[in-house]
Amino acid sequence: MSSASNINKRKGVKLEVRDPMSFANKFIVLILSIFTGLFISFVILILSGVSGSALWKEFVVYIVTSEKNLSSVLIQASPFVVAGLAAAVAFRARFWNIGIEGQMIFGAIAATYIAINDVGPEPTRLLLMFIAAGFGGVFWILLPAFLKIKLDVNEIISTLLMNYIAFNFLLHLLYGSWRDPSTGFPNSEQYDVSEILPLLGWQSLNFSSVIAVLLVIILFWLFMSSRFGFVLNVLHASSDMARYTGIRVSLVILIVTIVSGFLSGICGFLVSAGIESRMTQSFFIGFGFSGILISFLARDNPIGILVVSLLFATLVIGGQSLQVFYQIPFAMVQLMQAIIVMCVASSEFFIRYRLIFSF
Amino acid sequence: MDFLIYWLSNVPGFATPFALGVLGMIICERSGVLNLGAEGFVLVGAMSGAGVLISVGDLPLFALVIAGLSGSLFGLLFGFLVTILRVNQVIAGLIMVFLAQGLTSLLSRNMDWVNKPFEGLSKLNTGIFSEIPIIGPIIFQQDLLVYCTLLFYWVAFYFLYRTSIGLRLRAVGENPEAVDAAGGDVILLRLLAVIIGTFFLGLAGGYFTVVVSKIWVDGISGGRGWIIIALVIFARWQLSRALLGAVIFGCIEALIPRLAAIGFQLPQYFVLMMPYAITLLVMVWSNLNPKNIKATPSSLGRPFLREERH
Repeated sequence: MSSASNINKRKGVKLEVRDPMSFANKFIVLILSIFTGLFISFVILILSGVSGSALWKEFVVYIVTSEKNLSSVLIQASPFVVAGLAAAVAFRARFWNIGIEGQMIFGAIAATYIAINDVGPEPTRLLLMFIAAGFGGVFWILLPAFLKIKLDVNEIISTLLMNYIAFNFLLHLLYGSWRDPSTGFPNSEQYDVSEILPLLGWQSLNFSSVIAVLLVIILFWLFMSSRFGFVLNVLHASSDMARYTGIRVSLVILIVTIVSGFLSGICGFLVSAGIESRMTQSFFIGFGFSGILISFLARDNPIGILVVSLLFATLVIGGQSLQVFYQIPFAMVQLMQAIIVMCVASSEFFIRYRLIFSF
Repeated sequence: MDFLIYWLSNVPGFATPFALGVLGMIICERSGVLNLGAEGFVLVGAMSGAGVLISVGDLPLFALVIAGLSGSLFGLLFGFLVTILRVNQVIAGLIMVFLAQGLTSLLSRNMDWVNKPFEGLSKLNTGIFSEIPIIGPIIFQQDLLVYCTLLFYWVAFYFLYRTSIGLRLRAVGENPEAVDAAGGDVILLRLLAVIIGTFFLGLAGGYFTVVVSKIWVDGISGGRGWIIIALVIFARWQLSRALLGAVIFGCIEALIPRLAAIGFQLPQYFVLMMPYAITLLVMVWSNLNPKNIKATPSSLGRPFLREERH
């Protein structure tokens, strides 16, 4: 022990474990680190030739003052919420689902199949598409889940590889038999009116927001007050502990991955039937990664996911106008998300430790 | 026979970036730092290599060195996050991927590097050797980096298994508490491993642009960083198996574009998904053997929290 303290003295900086921080203080640190991330991002944007006043206008003024932009943010937020929930459910059982995008693709493929082949009577069409999308997502997570449970194959890599396979299958469809017959473009034909999520009556806000909020409530109940939520908490704390208490860990992982895959499929459905009214070849891009980051920022809490999704959606809508007016590539939005998460992840260090300088 | 020679002569070019990447990953992960950011480091290296060739001039070897160094520079940030700030290594790795995707896309647009073809690194002139039948095209018609990679493996082997700092580096991956008690600096060793490891990942990325594609577009690595991570598991964190895995994967990747020539008619996009499907199969096959689970460095992914020990 004496040698350890000697090393610390030599360095001049010593770490000390803090007493657990109060919730309010933690929250302040979180907000501060989000603002640090935004600050760094804005510096990068200013260096790329966007003026500070333009940033203020695009990210704050135009969004708060224009009902149209506000509704765009809300529409954009819905699939973010669902992607965040999909990530959160899996993370609760320590299953890293990096394959949300692939599952979104298969969800949208299943929904689009119902839409182009006009399966079922018109009034139930959307419901059928919803269910099909969910099961499309489940279909695409089953193999990684099975491999994880049976062979302990690392799910981070397997779900990610499945994304690339799904993407190429999507291109196979869109450049092949599903190409839009009326325009010849490589996207599916436009959905009929009965296959598009109905409007709610304010601006272009549609039913996808209702679905997102309902799913938040259901998962909040599942996590916080159901028996299953308790099992997940035990499993999250320690899989060994879960095993000793008689929880069938592989069954829980299977259930959790099915729920996560289902939600991812729904996320694909919300983008296709709620925003783009068809299946395009890029509809899913960024949602998987954003979902993971949203869930991380929100500490897997459904209400937190709702809040963080609104922040991310604002970044996307602001980023879209930067793309149009300042030719800033859309990847900047991804960069901003990554920087914010990096700052928040780093802030945990300061929540846990106190730095003591002794020169 | 011509087909076979042509196929095998393409293998080293396909295998080299995988070999370089896996080498970097092994050095990094042997020290206990789980590196899921491989795709990001590869992208950064790929863009920097292309950037040097477009903006500085036709200096392919210099471009490759810069590709490696920029991988290290980016690796320094990763190392800072995981060793000093003790950020969850899975999250930190994913952050590096997202960060690299956004940064390379933004920077290459700002610098106007996108879609600009350049000359890149050509095959090494070995004179008379390249005309030897059969082994000439396979062994002597390659670029310089193919031979350098073999040298790197030898040096890395010597470093990891024959030097005391290599021993410490491996020990940190197995039991950091013991290294700490013996007076080693766990954090410094891990930082060193990350910086060396990400150099080779950046170099692998540089190979993709400087030698293979000779052009930069966004996301050019196309998931090969993830394939590299899968190959590390196949290699059981051992250099000899890493080289073997890279060569096997090089054989497969070199064969895929030629499948049609030998009579396999597959739709285009099914051909394009094959590397990922095969990687998945490799992972399944690796895990069928229980030796693999034991081969994982014991402290992989676990941050070293000296202040929290009691």
